[in-house]
Amino acid sequence: MPTDSDSNPLREGLLSRSVPQPCSLVIFGATGDLTHRKLVPALYNLAADGNLPPSISVVGFARRDKTDEVFRSELEEAARKFSRQKINDELWTNFAGGLFYHRSEFTDLAGYESLATRLDELDAARGTRGNRLFYLSAGPDQFPIILENLRKSGLNTAKEGSWARVIVEKPFGTDLATAITLNDMVESSFAERDTFRIDHYLGKETAQNIMVLRFANAIFEQFWNARYVHHVQITASEPLGVEGRAGYYDKSGAMRDMVQNHLLQLLCLTAMEPPTDLSADAIRDEKVKVLRSLRRLNGTDVAKSVVRAQYTAGSVNGKDVVGYLDEANIPATTQTETYVALEASVDNWRWAGVPFYIRVGKRLPKGATEIALHLKSVPPVLFRQTGQAIDDNVLVIRIQPDEGVSLRMSAKLPGSSLRIEPVKMDFHYGTSFGKATPEAYERLLLDAMAGDATLFARRDEVEEAWKFVDAIRAAWESGEGGPLATYSAGTWGPDEADELVQRSGATWRRL
Amino acid sequence: MSDLISASLGLPVEIGRIEKELGLLWENIGDKTRASLINLAIYTESASAVAKNTDLVAQIATEHACRAILVYADLAAPERGAKAWINAHCHAADKREICSEQITFQLDGDSPSALTNVVFAHLDSDLPLCFWWQAPFREPLDSRLWNWIDRLIFDSNSWDNPAGQFALVQKIAALGEQRTILCDLNWTRLLSLRSGLAHFFDNSCALPYLRQIDRVEITHAPGARISALLLLGWLAHQLEWKLDTVLGRHSFRAPDRREITFDLTEATGACISSCRLTAGDAEFHLDRTQPGEFYHATMTGGQFEPSSQLLPAGRDRITETLLMELSRGGTHPLYLKALALIGPLLA
Repeated sequence: MPTDSDSNPLREGLLSRSVPQPCSLVIFGATGDLTHRKLVPALYNLAADGNLPPSISVVGFARRDKTDEVFRSELEEAARKFSRQKINDELWTNFAGGLFYHRSEFTDLAGYESLATRLDELDAARGTRGNRLFYLSAGPDQFPIILENLRKSGLNTAKEGSWARVIVEKPFGTDLATAITLNDMVESSFAERDTFRIDHYLGKETAQNIMVLRFANAIFEQFWNARYVHHVQITASEPLGVEGRAGYYDKSGAMRDMVQNHLLQLLCLTAMEPPTDLSADAIRDEKVKVLRSLRRLNGTDVAKSVVRAQYTAGSVNGKDVVGYLDEANIPATTQTETYVALEASVDNWRWAGVPFYIRVGKRLPKGATEIALHLKSVPPVLFRQTGQAIDDNVLVIRIQPDEGVSLRMSAKLPGSSLRIEPVKMDFHYGTSFGKATPEAYERLLLDAMAGDATLFARRDEVEEAWKFVDAIRAAWESGEGGPLATYSAGTWGPDEADELVQRSGATWRRL
Repeated sequence: MSDLISASLGLPVEIGRIEKELGLLWENIGDKTRASLINLAIYTESASAVAKNTDLVAQIATEHACRAILVYADLAAPERGAKAWINAHCHAADKREICSEQITFQLDGDSPSALTNVVFAHLDSDLPLCFWWQAPFREPLDSRLWNWIDRLIFDSNSWDNPAGQFALVQKIAALGEQRTILCDLNWTRLLSLRSGLAHFFDNSCALPYLRQIDRVEITHAPGARISALLLLGWLAHQLEWKLDTVLGRHSFRAPDRREITFDLTEATGACISSCRLTAGDAEFHLDRTQPGEFYHATMTGGQFEPSSQLLPAGRDRITETLLMELSRGGTHPLYLKALALIGPLLA
């Protein structure tokens, strides 16, 4: 019996992506925030767009006692609140018929064995043919026991002609050692090709557009190198504090929470060479090469090239906010950084000598994620007599919000005298394409069901990223990495971060 | 064109001053953003369609910022002449207001060269030209015009003489550089249905039945027979069926010589309200006989688990169909292939 969905001739010309097969999606931690806010609304939206595979079953696995009906009712409420598309009652009823709840402790092997039985029953009743997708949406401390019990119960092994895959939510460890342990553990249950590590930034339309922008437009790739680019700035700022995540965040900090995954992924997409094709491994091979080319920062290099800071009391969006140390559940003497600015060097032919500045922080004036390529100055000869400084060209890729691309260039001010001013060519997705773009989780869930790992992090990517981050953290812990600075909430970070970029003659972009 | 209709078209302008007047319009329109991703030209020979097309452009512009060029040709007018109006369609998007511009022309008298000229002269440069031709195609075909078009949009359900019109469409496709993408809205209309049928066979248990189909039953709305035929042509092409006519009775033959019978039934309702594929005791049915935005997709019989699912059917309204066409982009490589297989059934 054919198993390759590509052999369905009726699919020709309808889709340009892999088609997901019928499957059971098991969510560990199904009563958590992620399931309610992201996963189930994403699944509903996929159903509304006709993109879910036929007869999918979604099984929530959690410790609280509840029936399928109660579970469905809770998810309906969440979907009505968080779905990007309005809930259609008829469709919801149809969709909810595929939602099930399985109560068990994560530690209880019997719960997995009964899950296996239940999945077999669902396969028989709904035709899902033994295809299983396990989504680890629980706390990372629960991953080991869940993976172990999946293995012990045999759920990690697909029946012939079927598949068993696992989706792992970040954090992928807390350092290289724990990442290796986690990866070994995952690998002992699932092959790498069946492991999907989610970094939801990669599911965003604009992140996906980086490759299109670079490799489908001859104009950009011409200057995408050290000959023309003076430096690159990658920023992820947010006005929020730690909110309800104090416990997690204080153990993690900005470096591990954001830089190790999201920002290094954006750096990879910016700096990578063209892949040989668009397959998952071809793209990820190029990203890994970038990570391997990142100059490791050790010891006192860290003090020169990395700034870490913590916010103090200030004002955000017109409201007074407390400093990090005064946030609820944050230890009074913690050294956890809420801000990081660093200068990275990609030591390869294309980028030699070009600083990649990364900054990320909480309680900054506004929320924005973007990549900015600052081009080198034109030779200062022709317009010298005007006495004006000419602003350099800047190409900005806005990841969120207001996704788009802009190019700053110089233009003559109308009039009889020669005055030059910067102007901006601006492309806004929202202006040009009125249609709402799918949420990142929609794309990522669909890709996992179809077995397409392009937008997921591979093991070697994760581990290489940790090597870079661990070296910096080791320097901080040894005291060689420089002191923890502070910045007032509602500002763009500490003075030390400004000094960091000024060394190359740059300044941080005003967002 | 009546005064009432022309009043809805905006500001009357001299044709030679259109770009200047548009510039003034944008100066006066205040803090709004003009946007344009495509040139959307619409040609009609019906005066009553002009106002409808203006409404349609206003809706399209909310998702596809464009320069719209509406042309009404009054072929029966005794004297040649031309008039023009300019207008803007604005809508709120996030924190700003986004506007698209519309230029409307009335061309009096039968002058194909005037049509080509007004379109060429008023395109927003470097942007693709999508041209919706709402009139019958006629010979001689002006290759200068057709070769300039990136997407030629038409609706075969509106034709009185489908066989003759399809022959002209095939000629247009063969003209010049052949870069024009043919977009029959009737083909676009079938997208949800084709996706729905494909969806059944994404299930690998159902896939083997695809090569065992022995009957196709399609229910279509009055005036939508061509939709049903295109659907049939698509199935036939994808499954390598050949049309077989014996004593005036049509059926298809699969490569294994199996006969596939078909039945097209007319009934009030959606464009295609039902499509049933039978393969021995297995049945795959997309049903939209009840009002709603979904197909009830059921598969029963056979060696697979019966299933029932709702799949999006879209809406039959022309605006949605056009939006879908513009949103999907890309080419339609199977369209002419499907068409070629149903030629004998068009008469």
